[in-house]
Amino acid sequence: MAEWMSVKWLLWISLYLVLGVFVPWATALAWAHQHGSDLRPRPRQLFQRGELGLVGLVLVISVIWNLLQSQYMPQTRALGAVLLAVIGTMAGAVWIETYCRHSTGMASNDERAWRDSRNLAFLVFSVAVVVEILLDRFAKVAAL
Amino acid sequence: MVFGLLLVFFPVSFPRIILHSWQSGNLIVAMLVIALTLDAYLYFRIAYLLSARPTALAAACLGSLPIIVVGGCSILLQSAVAQTLAVDLPNPQARVGEEVLAHTYLGLVSAVFLPFLVIRLLQQFRATNSARQS
Repeated sequence: MAEWMSVKWLLWISLYLVLGVFVPWATALAWAHQHGSDLRPRPRQLFQRGELGLVGLVLVISVIWNLLQSQYMPQTRALGAVLLAVIGTMAGAVWIETYCRHSTGMASNDERAWRDSRNLAFLVFSVAVVVEILLDRFAKVAAL
Repeated sequence: MVFGLLLVFFPVSFPRIILHSWQSGNLIVAMLVIALTLDAYLYFRIAYLLSARPTALAAACLGSLPIIVVGGCSILLQSAVAQTLAVDLPNPQARVGEEVLAHTYLGLVSAVFLPFLVIRLLQQFRATNSARQS
């Protein structure tokens, strides 16, 4: 019972959700209010060009850093770091590809960019949460 | 995410099941079965949603990559466990349990999602090449 009461990882992931997703959205609403604009962007509109992929990439960097600081064996740290880096790179690539397409005037599918970035960001968040839970467990074992 | 929820709500029994499975030599087989089943399900679901015909290259990629990934993870796990026991660390049995747990999760995620990420990457290259040719 005491084991799962530890919610450090939940607080950690909430920080990313609040600062990476909620704050930009609230800032856009505040900007619209301040300038008397009718703009009421939904998160989907705000992140329609794959920006969630960038949020996922930033999250992955943080998890890789935490993993490298842990006392897991080097093989485990390497496996986790490579896996996270691949997923993070793919998430970031969605944002980059959409940016490049818009910048060069090539045909771009915002619907697909939103869907891919949302799915990859969800994958990144899921993996990040579980890795943080594993790190939390290992830290307790190592401290015994 | 399911793995994480099981860890949170069954912090003792779920890791114990995985550890017993590893000790009896069934963990790799179970991981392969889970990974290949999930890959096949996701593949056919995506093909159905996109109304696309499954291709031989994608099927070969989905069939072979999980086996390679799980095999590689198994070798890494044996090496990590041997190193944990060889180095004079406190509480080695619990550390081995955590290493097995971490490798199981990372191996499963790699085996399920890496083939799709590779296919996605190959699609980007193919799209780039066909755009260049036209």
